Amino acid sequence: MKSKLIFSGIGGQGTILMGKMICTAAAKKGYYVTLSPAYGQEKRGGRASCQVVISEEMSSMIISEADTILVMDEKSLNDYENKVKAGGTLIINQSMITKDAQRKDINVVKIPFTEIAAKAATAKSANIVALGAVVKTLDIVTLDDAKEVIKVKMKPALVEQNIKALEAGYHYL
Amino acid sequence: MSKVFMQGNEAFAEAAIRCGCKYFFGYPITPSSEIPEYYAKKAPSEDLTFVQAETEVSAFNMVAGVAATGKRGMTATSGPGFSLGCEAMSYMSAASLPAVIVDCMRPGPADGEILGSQGDYNQLTKGGGHGDYNTIVLAPYSVQEYADFASLSFELAEKYRNPVVVASDGTIAKLMENVELPKKNYEFKRSDWACDGMNGRSHYNDITTCGDGPEQWEHFNITLQQKYQTIQQNEQRWEEINTEDADIIIVAFGSLARVCMDTIKIARENGKKVGLIRPITLWPFPEKAFEKYEKTNTKFFVTELNAGQMVNDVKIAVNDKNRVEFYGKLGGITPTPIELYQKLCEIYP
Repeated sequence: MKSKLIFSGIGGQGTILMGKMICTAAAKKGYYVTLSPAYGQEKRGGRASCQVVISEEMSSMIISEADTILVMDEKSLNDYENKVKAGGTLIINQSMITKDAQRKDINVVKIPFTEIAAKAATAKSANIVALGAVVKTLDIVTLDDAKEVIKVKMKPALVEQNIKALEAGYHYL
Repeated sequence: MSKVFMQGNEAFAEAAIRCGCKYFFGYPITPSSEIPEYYAKKAPSEDLTFVQAETEVSAFNMVAGVAATGKRGMTATSGPGFSLGCEAMSYMSAASLPAVIVDCMRPGPADGEILGSQGDYNQLTKGGGHGDYNTIVLAPYSVQEYADFASLSFELAEKYRNPVVVASDGTIAKLMENVELPKKNYEFKRSDWACDGMNGRSHYNDITTCGDGPEQWEHFNITLQQKYQTIQQNEQRWEEINTEDADIIIVAFGSLARVCMDTIKIARENGKKVGLIRPITLWPFPEKAFEKYEKTNTKFFVTELNAGQMVNDVKIAVNDKNRVEFYGKLGGITPTPIELYQKLCEIYP
């Protein structure tokens, strides 16, 4: 088993897109990847999350405990802090979460995604800054693998700003 | 062949197009809507017929119409839509029409929720509509298997001239995985029973579902039942994982079977010999999978995303020879592998 991840936020923040991008990069490297998304009926503002499993073989798409969890809003922090396995990593979007994590047995990383994105390119790319941080934390796909996915999956006009955001997130850690 | 990272519903739709299903009729409903969306998007470039009907009642009957011509056609829906299509399911079964229907199950009753569920098990496997009929039901547990079932469902439908249901759910429908899609290799052949004009024949074919007196209707029903017995004999499909030395066997299908793959690993790590039987055909139910445990002390742990439906088929299959216990989860919540392991330990300490 390589890694089990959960990304959670509010609909519109792009957490499921992040999951798709990390999976696309890992699938290209030959891993068995599974993305299980969950979202409410709301177009915007509801919970949007995904569970990602990157592995050598088929396994459960539902995660008991995750190696890494990224929370983009405070409600996600409340709901998912206990799902990080002991010794795992919790990445917190400091731009939207003022509360501290309670657990002492996990590695907590706080990053102001929106401010970094605004400085590097545009605040809209906050999720791609987060993607850069996740890529660095995971060590499964490289920064270049992630850049390749952005080039293939995004509209040409958006590629440059998102690569800047990705690099900013990656190098922040 | 290279794999692509694709969503379950879209992979199924693409596979169905590649295996010659050129007709889609449907009414959008979450979590099945990506299938009609995919067909609508591909219709111009792939020369497909896509109709968004005014209701599932119409969509199912349109599928009956195209199946009667011997062409490959299908619809996709979720529980509330499948309920509306059940009248047509009964008529298609009586008329021996080879149609394919996808049910992306979501929790009910009524509109319920839009997440994964297995609450339609009884509806799909015990008929659902009126009269004595059965449809073949296939339950995928991965995006790859979902895509593979596109071709298999049409082959079985045509082999037995019977509707086939693909029982997906909200989780498998939305799941994204690496998938190898089938090659385009379908060649349409005219069927000698199809209503497709005289076309060289000396007569028009006639497909009817009307009775002509009780004796004739009894005879017709006996013929149908004989077909169902043949299917039960030939088409029971299941997968077994780590059952050879198992003291406890989990029985689960579809998305929940996938979760159980990790549960049996956790159990083995903790010294418990646990295996998995995964029914692939929900009808015919794979009773044969349970025969070899009749004279053993093997215990069964049936788990479903419903209040206990398949468990009754397991109980019939083991015929009181083995202990059978059940754990169900309702409302669209899929339990985690550890949660299932803890429940299993509570029941079988």
